[in-house]
Formats: sequence, C-alpha cells, structure tokens
Amino acid sequence: MDYDVLVVGSGIGGMESALKLGDMGYKVLLVEREGSVGGRMILLSKVFPTLDCASCISTPKMASTIHHPNITAMTYGEVDGIRRDKNGRFHVQVRQKARYVDEAACTGCQQCETACTVAVPDQFNADLVARRAAYIPFPQAVPKKAVIERQGTSPCTNTCPAGIKTHGYVSLIRSGKYEEAFQRVADVTPLVATLGRACYAPCEDQCTRGELEAPIPIRRLKRFAADTHYGRKDLPNVDRPQANGKRVAIIGSGPAGLTAAWQLARQGYGVKIFEAEPQPGGAMRLSIPSYRLPVEALERDIANVTALGVEIATSTRVTDLDKLRSDGFDAVCVATGTPSSAKLRVDGEDLAGVQSALSFLRDIKLGAKPNLAGKTVAVIGGGNVAIDAARSAQRLGATAVHQICLERRGEMPAHTWEVKEALDESVQLHDGWGIAGFTGNLEVEAVDLKRCTAVFDAEHKFRPQYDDSDRQSIRCDLAIVAIGMGVDTAAFPKLAPNGSRALQANPQTLQTSLPWVFAAGDAVDGPTSIATAVGKGNRAAYMIDRYLRGLELGAFEGIDDRLGVMDKSQVLARQKSYTPRKVIKLSLPLSAHPQDFAEIEPPMTEAEARAGSGGCLDCGVCSECGQCVETCPADAIHLDMKEKKQEVEVGAVVVSTGYKLFAADLKPQYGFGKYPNVITAMQMDRLLAPTRPFNTILRPGDGKVPERIAYIMCTGSRDKTVDNPLCSKFCCMYSVKQNQLIMGALPLADVTVHYMDIRAAGKRYEEFYDQAKSMGATYVKGRVAKISEKDDGNLVVRYEDIENGGNLVEAEYDLVVLAVGVQPNKDPVGLFPEEKLALDDYSYVAELDEDLNPGRTNIPGVFVAGTASGAKDIVDSILHAGAAAAQVAAHLEEQAQAQRETTQAKMKVLA
Amino acid sequence: MSERRIGVYVCHCGGNISDYVDVERVVGTVQGAPGVVVAKHTMFACSDATQQEMAADIKEQKLDGLVVASCSPKLHTTTFRGVAKRAGLNPYTYNQVNIREQCSWAHTDNHEGATLKATGLVKAGIARSRLSVPLEPMVVQTTQKAMVVGAGIAGLRAAIGLADVGLQVFLVEREKKLGGWVGQFGAMYARNRKGTDLIAALVAEIQKRPAITVYTNAELVAKSGSFGNYVATVRLDETPAKELQVDVGSIVVATGFDTYQPEPGEFGFGTDGVVTLPEFKAMIDASPGPLTYRGKRVKTIAYIYCVGSRQPSGHEYCSRFCCAATAHASLRVAELGRAGARPPPEPGVHQYHLYRDIRTYGKFELMYTDSRESGAVYMKFADDAPPVVALGDDGKLKVTTRDTLTGGEELTIPADLVVLVTGMVPRKNNELMTLLKVPVGTDGFFNEIHPKLRPVETVVDGVLIAGACQGPKSASESVASGLAAVTQSAAILKKGFAELDPLVATVNASACTWCGKCVEVCPYSAIAKVAADGREVAEISASTCKGCGGCAPACPENAIDLKGYTDAQIRAAIDGMLEEKAA
Repeated sequence: MDYDVLVVGSGIGGMESALKLGDMGYKVLLVEREGSVGGRMILLSKVFPTLDCASCISTPKMASTIHHPNITAMTYGEVDGIRRDKNGRFHVQVRQKARYVDEAACTGCQQCETACTVAVPDQFNADLVARRAAYIPFPQAVPKKAVIERQGTSPCTNTCPAGIKTHGYVSLIRSGKYEEAFQRVADVTPLVATLGRACYAPCEDQCTRGELEAPIPIRRLKRFAADTHYGRKDLPNVDRPQANGKRVAIIGSGPAGLTAAWQLARQGYGVKIFEAEPQPGGAMRLSIPSYRLPVEALERDIANVTALGVEIATSTRVTDLDKLRSDGFDAVCVATGTPSSAKLRVDGEDLAGVQSALSFLRDIKLGAKPNLAGKTVAVIGGGNVAIDAARSAQRLGATAVHQICLERRGEMPAHTWEVKEALDESVQLHDGWGIAGFTGNLEVEAVDLKRCTAVFDAEHKFRPQYDDSDRQSIRCDLAIVAIGMGVDTAAFPKLAPNGSRALQANPQTLQTSLPWVFAAGDAVDGPTSIATAVGKGNRAAYMIDRYLRGLELGAFEGIDDRLGVMDKSQVLARQKSYTPRKVIKLSLPLSAHPQDFAEIEPPMTEAEARAGSGGCLDCGVCSECGQCVETCPADAIHLDMKEKKQEVEVGAVVVSTGYKLFAADLKPQYGFGKYPNVITAMQMDRLLAPTRPFNTILRPGDGKVPERIAYIMCTGSRDKTVDNPLCSKFCCMYSVKQNQLIMGALPLADVTVHYMDIRAAGKRYEEFYDQAKSMGATYVKGRVAKISEKDDGNLVVRYEDIENGGNLVEAEYDLVVLAVGVQPNKDPVGLFPEEKLALDDYSYVAELDEDLNPGRTNIPGVFVAGTASGAKDIVDSILHAGAAAAQVAAHLEEQAQAQRETTQAKMKVLA
Repeated sequence: MSERRIGVYVCHCGGNISDYVDVERVVGTVQGAPGVVVAKHTMFACSDATQQEMAADIKEQKLDGLVVASCSPKLHTTTFRGVAKRAGLNPYTYNQVNIREQCSWAHTDNHEGATLKATGLVKAGIARSRLSVPLEPMVVQTTQKAMVVGAGIAGLRAAIGLADVGLQVFLVEREKKLGGWVGQFGAMYARNRKGTDLIAALVAEIQKRPAITVYTNAELVAKSGSFGNYVATVRLDETPAKELQVDVGSIVVATGFDTYQPEPGEFGFGTDGVVTLPEFKAMIDASPGPLTYRGKRVKTIAYIYCVGSRQPSGHEYCSRFCCAATAHASLRVAELGRAGARPPPEPGVHQYHLYRDIRTYGKFELMYTDSRESGAVYMKFADDAPPVVALGDDGKLKVTTRDTLTGGEELTIPADLVVLVTGMVPRKNNELMTLLKVPVGTDGFFNEIHPKLRPVETVVDGVLIAGACQGPKSASESVASGLAAVTQSAAILKKGFAELDPLVATVNASACTWCGKCVEVCPYSAIAKVAADGREVAEISASTCKGCGGCAPACPENAIDLKGYTDAQIRAAIDGMLEEKAA
C-alpha cells in the first residue's frame, strides 16, 4: 500500500483530518486542486467568535500540513478516479496538473506576476480584483510557488499556420509592450511587417470576440508592432550568435526560405540564400502589389535576416544540389515556391497580349510599368492573384478591367473582402464563366466565354461543367491569366516530385528523398499563403537543426506541441454578459479609379491598438507571451511541462471537498452583478482581510467609503424559490463578525442587518451577537423584497418592517452585503466511477449513521469530513474532521487486524 | 558586548499590527543592538515563506537565539519552536514577543504609543534572549490506555473509538446505568431515532470489546502523575466502598450537562400544567396516542422559548439544541394526534411557539418548516417583552404575549399545557473540576484551549473534553466531539512517548531551607519534601510542574528559579524595556 489514507481537499477539514491521521502515525496523501493548501478559511478576515485573524489560525496548520513527516501534500493536483478492490483497498488515479513552474526552483518572488500580460478575475479575492495568469494564489500560500494558468491554446494561436503565438503578441500590445510583441512574432519569422500587411489572418476568423461584436484586429495589431519597432530611432543592435561552423544553403528567398534562414542563422548556422530573381522576397516581392505590401516594408523585414550575416545571392539559379554539397553546405533547404504558371490550354492562348498574372505582376514590381491607358483588360481567375492583377491593371490606367472566373461570387477562392475592394475600384466581375478561347489576329482582341454550370463534382473535386450553348465574348487588349501556379520540378531532377506540380517531402520532417535536402513552403504544398509558408520554413529550420545535430527527426515536441484548442462557448460562458466594445473599424480610402500603387491601408494609431487589443478575451488564459519565462530569475518556468498521472493504493479515503457559495445573481431582485455596490459577504470578508485588495473598505462602484451598510441575511438559504430550504448555519455569525469589524474600521458607519432569525447557536456565539448589538449594529427583522439603484450608486432597499407594524418601507444604503449561504459541492460523486457515493436529499455527501458514526459514507473505507456533508462553521468542521479521523483510524486498524488473521490462517494451513 | 547571534523578526500581521505600529521603525531601533545579527520585518511571520526564510537565516547566520514579535504566544509558540527545531536551533532559545494583542490591538487610538511600547517589548525580548540557554524537552513514555469519564452518548462513543484504535479503555460512570440523558429519550431529532435504541446499540458494541472496562456507580476521585502517565483513582460505590487505581495516558472528560431548572414562578413554573422541555419530552415519549395531561386530551400547547437561555442576567449563552428539539417535539405531538384521530378528522392540537429567534441551523431548518406546515403557529416576542403566564379565573392557563410578526398585537392564548423550553446548564461537579484542574469559561462549561486550533484539548495536557460538558451540543455533535477526542488521544498516545516542556521550576537545594511556602502555592502538587545531604529540602517533579512560576516569588530564600524565565532573564527584560522609555 502506498499510503494509508487519501485525503481529497485541503480546506480546514481536510487539513485537520490529515494532520491528526499523520500524528497518529498513518501515511497520508493529501490532494488539493488549487495551487495552495488552505481552502476557504485562509481567505477570511477574522473568525468568530474569538476574532482571531483567519491567517493566524490557518497558516500554522497549512505549514504543518506541508511539513508533516507523514503527510505528502500534492497541490494543483486532481483525483481522477477511485476504485475499491475486493480486499477493500482503493486504487486512486492521481494527476499532478502542470503548474508550468518548477516547484523546487521557484522562490515565490512574484516577478512572473508582475511580468504577466493577462489579467483574470481573482477567485482568491472573490473576483473583486484581478490576478495574473501567472500567479501565486495569495500572500500566505503554502507552498508559495507560482502557477501559470493555461486552460488550452487560444483559437487564434491554434489556427495560425505560421505557428506564431498570436494571443501572446496581442496581450503584449494590450500591456503596452510593443517591442516585446514584435519580438514574439520575430521568434517565428523575420516577416513581421509583411505578415502585418499581407497575411490573410485566419486568426481573426477564429477569434472568440467575433462571436460578440467583431473579432479583434489581430493582423493590424501585428503591423502596429512592426511599425512601432521599425519606427524606433534606437533600433536594438542585432546580436550575431556564435557561429557553430555548419553551413546551410537555402534555395529561394520567399517566406519559407527567409524564415528558415532566420531561424538557422539565429542558432549560429552559416546560411546562404540563393535567389534566381534579381531581388529577394519571392512572391512577396514579385507578386503582391505595392498597394498591399510596399517594397520598403518587405525590405525592412529582409534586413532582419541579412543583419544576422545571412548572404543572399540574387539572380543565382541553383540546379546542381551536389555542387552545393561540395561547396561545403551541410544541408540544403529547397524553398523555391511556385514560380510557374498554369496554362488554360485553349485556343489563342499564345496570341500576343495573353500573359500570365505572375509575369504581369512581376514586371510591375521590377519597375516596368506598362501603360494601359485606353486599354481594356481581361483577368482570368478567381483567386487572390487574379484580384491583385485586376486591381493593378486598374492602377495602370486601363479603361475597363473585366475579371472572369469559373466560380460564382460566393465560391471564389479570393477572400470576399478582396473581391469587394476590387469591385469598389471598378473592376467588373463576370462570375460563372469558363474560357472557350481567345480570338485575335496576332494580338488578342477578345476572350470567348462559356457558361460554367458547376465547378466541383459531387466529391468536391475540381471538375468544371459547361453549358456550351450559353456564350459571350468580351473584347480586350490584354488578357491576364491567373488560374494556378506550380513548382519548377525540372530544376531538381534528383528530387522526387509529388505529382506533376510539387516536390515530395515527408510532411512531418520535410526531408526529401535526399536526406540532407529539405523542402519547404509552396514548393512542396502548392500555392498556399505567406503564413503557411512561414510555418513550413520554421519547421524546416527546426528539422535541419536536428538533422545537423545528429538528433532523431521524429521528435516534434518543440514545434508541434500545444494544448488542445479552447472551446469558444466555454470561454464565453466565463461571463454572464459582455458589454459591447467599440469596433476598431478599418475604413479604407478606396478610389473608384485608383491612380497609383501607394499603400492603401493606413497604420493603426496607438490608441486604436490599445483599444483593439483590449477586447481580447484571453481564451486560453495564459497567452504564451513568454514574459514570465524571460523574467523568472530562477529559470523556473517551463511552458512545455506536462501533467503527471499515477496510480496509488490507499487503505481509506477522506472526502473533504468543502462547499460552494450561493451564486448571488440567482436572486435577481437583489441586483448582484448588476449594481456594483451590491456585494457578497465573501467579498466583504476580503475587503476586511489583512491582505485586503484596497487596503480599506470601499464600495466597488465608485471607491467611496460607505457610511450606511446593509446586510441581507439568508441570501440563497431558507429559500424555496432557489431550491434551498436549508439554513446555511454560518452566515448569521460571519455577518455579526463583519458587523463588528466594520464598526471597528469605520467608526462612523451605520450597519443594519435585515434578518429572519439571528442564529447565534454555539459556544460564545450569543455573547458575540450581544457584543455587536452593544457596539451599535442594528438588527431589523424582516425579509427584503427588492433592491434598486439610484443614479449616485446608492441602493434603495425595500423591506418589510415587521417590528414596526409590518409595513413595506424603503431605506437607502451606500453598500449592500448579501449574506450568501452554502451550496453542495457535487464533485465528490465523480471521484468514484464504479460505485455510487450516496448523497442526501440536498446533494451533500450522505452520512448513513449520523447519530453514531459521523463521517461514515455508504462506501466502506470512504469517509467525509467537514462541509462536504452539510453546512458547518469552522469549529464544527474541525470537530467533524477529528471525528472522521477517528473513524478512518478504526477502519485501518480493523483492516490490519483482518489482514493479520488471514495471514495467521494461511500459516496454520501451511503448518 | 553580547556575543550572542540573535535573529529578530517583527511581523506586520497583514495590517493587524502595522496599521497601528510602525513596524519598520521598531526594526530600525533594534538593528545592530548588541547580539542582534538579523533584524527584519515580515508581512506574516507565521507564513511558510517567512518560516523558511527564518530557517535559512538560522543556518546561514549561525543564529543562537530567535525573537519573533507578532501575536500572542498562545497562538504561535509551537509554530516558531518548530521553525527553530527544523533549522537545528534549540527551540527554547526562541522568545515570542506579543505586539499585537498587547500593542496594536490595545492601542488603536495611539500609533506613536503603540510603536514605543512595541519597541520596548521587543527590546525586552532580545534582552531575555541574550540570557537564554538551550533546554531539552523531557521525554516520557506514554501509557497506551485512556479513561473516559461519563458514559453518556459522547463518552460511550469515545470509549468505543478509543478501543478501535487499539487503546485500553476504562469507562467510568457515576450512575448505575450507562447512557446518560440520551438513554432516557424516545425518538429524537433530527432523524427520529430513539435515544434508548442508540444507547443500546452503543452498549452492545462496548460489550463486544474486551479492551473496554466499564465501571458504573463509580467516580474518578483522584488523579496523580503527569501527561502520558496519569494514575487515576476510581471509587466504586459498593459495600464496602472500594477504590482502585488505574494507569492511563489520557483522560476524556464527557460528563455532560444538566438542564435548566426554572425558578418558582418563572413563566408560571410551579403552576400545574407548566412543564419544562425535558418533562414534556418524557410525556411525549411515554404517550401511546394523542397527548394527554392529567387524563385530559391536550388541545392547546404554548411553548415559551429561551427559558434560562439568552438572559442578560444568568445564562447569557444560547443553548443551541432547544429550538430544534422543540420543533421536533411539536412535530411528534402532531403525529401522536394523527395516530389517535377518529374519523371524521378531529382538529389537531393547537401549538403556539413563542420565540425570540428560531435557531434550527443547517438541515434542522426542515423540521421548523415541517412544523409550520403542520399547523403550528410561531410568534416572535421582543427581548424586553417576554410572555406572561397566568392562571385564569376559569382555572385555565393563559399566556399573554405581543406578537411582533403581526404588528405587536397583544394576544392571550388559553393553553392546556405550557412548555418552558429550557436549555442546558453546566453540570455542578466541583470535585471533578478541582481534581482535574480544567478551567471553565464564563458560561460555566469546561473550556478548550482554542476552539479552532485545539478544540478538545484543555490546558491540562492529556485531559480532553467531549460532548456537552464543553457547551451545549446535540447528540450527534456530542458524538462527533467524542470521536475528535479519540483522535486527539490517539495522536498523543500512539507514538508511545511524549515530550514535555522543560520550562519548569527548579530548586537550588543548597539555598533551600524547607519552609514549605512553595508547596502551599503550587496548584499542581508538584513539590515534595525530600532529604538531601541530611537536610530537608524541596524538590519539584519536572513532569508534574507546569511552569506557572507561582513558587519562585513565594520562596523567601530565592532558591527557586524557573527555566526560561530566570530572575536574571526577567531583570534583563525589564531593563531592556526601560531602555526605550529613557530614550
């Protein structure tokens, strides 16, 4: 047996049971869900009726629990399941959740909290204030070790094909850390400005905020980070890493090649890029028009790479891979993209004036701007390149630009906003038409169209169907064909192709048929997007590094490992309602007759960037911004930490999972959650605690120190309308305690308690109640019907004044405290998947023989301690936990005795 | 100059101290004082992080003394002794200075004064520490046996629990019969089980356990020895009377309660038809059908709550159980009425509950709800306007009250029966109190050391309290506290040994002239006359002495010193404190 006893939950009941069992000499495993032991009591201000401060009572118990030689305390752990075997022993599935912090190394210095860019409601302060995603639960936490809360991967980050920590840079911008945001993108790729302009931003499609008013402007935020970085006068010097002596050749300087070069050079590899074209940048340089991506922005990104010492040999076409090897390159990355254009294979395609879009766009980008004044242009294709060509033609002065595509407008591969922008710029769209041929005499004069009835077949394969009877002809002086692109497979005869258009490479490792040659980007995948190619370039660099270090390529943790994606509905369910935010609208100054290639999209202002990033819902909680990792002086934070599961065998189980507090918004007539100055008593206890968030008692609405404070007793208790006819036992006394503490802290404040019965039943409780009355608290018998808010935030309480005639009267208060009661915590049921842990009629763990055997449940060997079995105050919880410990000890002794008897019987048989 | 290496830690206690005492200034004043090598302030001295910091300082700075200025030593002496011990420092070289209860909380209106006082106390603590010497706790073997005094439901269940964890048990009951109050009851709240059945079940369990020896008609009459090794004398009420002595490691006191007996005339007490709650309970338990009194069907009952409880003079406390017990009794009355009803249905018994607050806490609330739903009427009276019980001209009882729930209307209820809902009072057993030296609270019930930290322990080590002798409790709460006492007994006895504080008084035999004055003042009978070198001198039993220090000033020859609080240390502490005033 690994332990004698498993104790689930480390509130005051769990700690008491564990400590006493440990004192008796039993080995105890204590599992706590939160990052610290202590439960709810440690969060209280003082405790009745002695007015001891809760910390002073709790902290020594917490420290003893952790340091007890017989107790193993697992914090931030979970019990996944408990199974009882035929010998009455329990097999427990225990899971140590990943804290992402090395407990041994963490010193509790809290610098990660300061650095963290994500704020979430602080459950340890009853949501009055925020805490960070990197947090130490509370100042007296035991162990005082940080936890990084990661619920999953945020949808934006999860969807980014480049592998950029999207949520990370958004939260950095929100925190004003613009340079850090830039660096977070640069961790993946040097193309920050380029992606900030020309990425199709699939992240925005996934943004959970999109389910509300609109997704946050993620792409433009990246551009903001890039603009800010490049606009700096004090650009940081680039640290060139120590050369590791190995050399890598990269063929192609598009997004994949540049990214691979960037990553490898940063690790000390000697990298040389070979580019066939006269300028580096690949499709970004040659195909994307300047009005979308100015050449300067791209060049600034490329300068990041050359600053590391990467040489780019332009106008250098490489075909002989072996020569690269003999020239001293240890590995090669082929990232040549898709420079060749697909052909229509129709009549007249070889007429002059019929041109591929790639060559048309390339000519423009390389400075040969054809004058299209007075000319009519037909652009064939429905993708982004076709749109780029059409809009470029407009800018070159064409009289009319006709865009012809097979698809209907809704199915076009180009993004809808791009199509709309093209139409706004007077491009004329002819959707649902195929090309029958071109006519003309030497030079094209017209393009003949035939109606396309379907683009895809039933299996969604590209197989266009035409209606030859439905035809038209469009006159044109220039026809630009943009119907597809492919790799130049003939360039590398030694590399196995993948079909006719792309190179073959292992999809995971990107290794080609030659082990030292890797291939990445569109050269392998066919035409995709910049971001996808960036992701592949990054992967290629990772694999090449492993290859050159002699490591197995099969391990992908470093690049593929991420938590499961967050479910959007789960994220939205965190809050009851959302105040709509002002959408950061992008109004592009589009002209119906654009004249030049100047960049259209204006930069984001800082105010827009802060407002835009401010809408982030922090779906995964931790944004992976990496600030904590960088800041931690002990290098204790490891975001790749994994949870650990184990099975342990124990002789008995104590369920001490505590209770839940009534959710006060279930009594809408009291206005909790709607009126800021209506708070719960737990929040008041936090306002009063020595570790209080505001260092004084104030009302949350406006920070005013309240002078008239009302308590509404029995909120959610003794109330059939919320399905809880039970009394919660401790609310009267904690309210009486708070009354005294408030009167001590705010001598001028008036405290009025609206009650049904004051239940001061316990040792020295009545005397404590008398003391509150003698200090001046007023106790008014009668229920409260309704609370309403005045303009100044004050609250009008409508109540029945029983002792003065029973009339409905109103009183005005600055602050209303709801004395919320106990709700059962139903989690323990899930602990036992194989047998049913019996609950009572109100869903508390049932004690079968409460009269004589408190703490015993229906499962032999399973005991309950504290409030898991019903409302109790601290004193009663401690006594109950002590009783449960006695029951556990009796059970263990009985089991041991039975074991001895069995053994003896066996010995006898043997004798 | 002092060669000591003392660490001083001054606690903010969140804001409990630092809101009133300038903690940083206190630290500044003692920084660099002779012998002080570490002086720090800390948010929570008792937090694990600070404990670890202290332990690191002790090791790194080779500290030989520790002063923590925080709260009352009652709270954290063991905490910081533990820190010292874990870090390899003798725990008795640590001194606690109380600047919370004695400074910040006491002088909330005078921050400057509180700060000066705190500084003085810290200096006194440092001065005392400079003269501290390492002390070793006394280790005594413990007897694996326990005694339970009182065989009510708490005592019986505790005895079974003790036997079940492997201890020998002596159960001592004054009465002839086991079972106490519960043994006399029929159906009880909240689960309608009969008290007699519960006790019978427990007694059957006791009989199954040879480890339990039961003495009825027996009383604990003497206790000697010390924690872990008490010798208890039990007097058996036999003819001839017999006394026997048993060795026990711990004693669980479960002597229960008495019920409040009203004064004659109190709410008509003494008048025919006015009964107390226990009397009423007995009537219900004995009633086979509809309740009758003096042979007549009871048709109207008035209950008057809080008789003898929550009274400004007399018993100020709330008896906790009575509301639920009365709600239950009221339901039983209704049930008995239904059982005997003849068709067509007779009107049930009219029941009027005159209360101040109904305290059916937790799940007991359901009985209150059921009782109201069964037709019982609840009327609240003001604390200063209790009901009046009088005998009417017709010879019937009349209860007059003002019901605050209906606008303070004055009502007179003609009642067949008036039930005075009487609570629990501490049992009068002065002999036992004197014998055990367990203190009682202002309410007269036995006092635990701390309701949350040490809820079943008393200031007398190894003497534990369980059940209603500690304060009013329901039967199941008494059982829980009985089991908690089992746990505590097992926790101290199962180890087989116990460590006793070495902070005890010692006699300098050469200075002692045996005048006997010390014996007179010793409340623990720890001092005896012995012969030494042919002289008669006093000797103090280290295991019996509690270190109260009473004997030291009583000694005219200054022959007695208290370890840890020697005269020299106290004088140094006073000098240290005065130093601050002079400044």
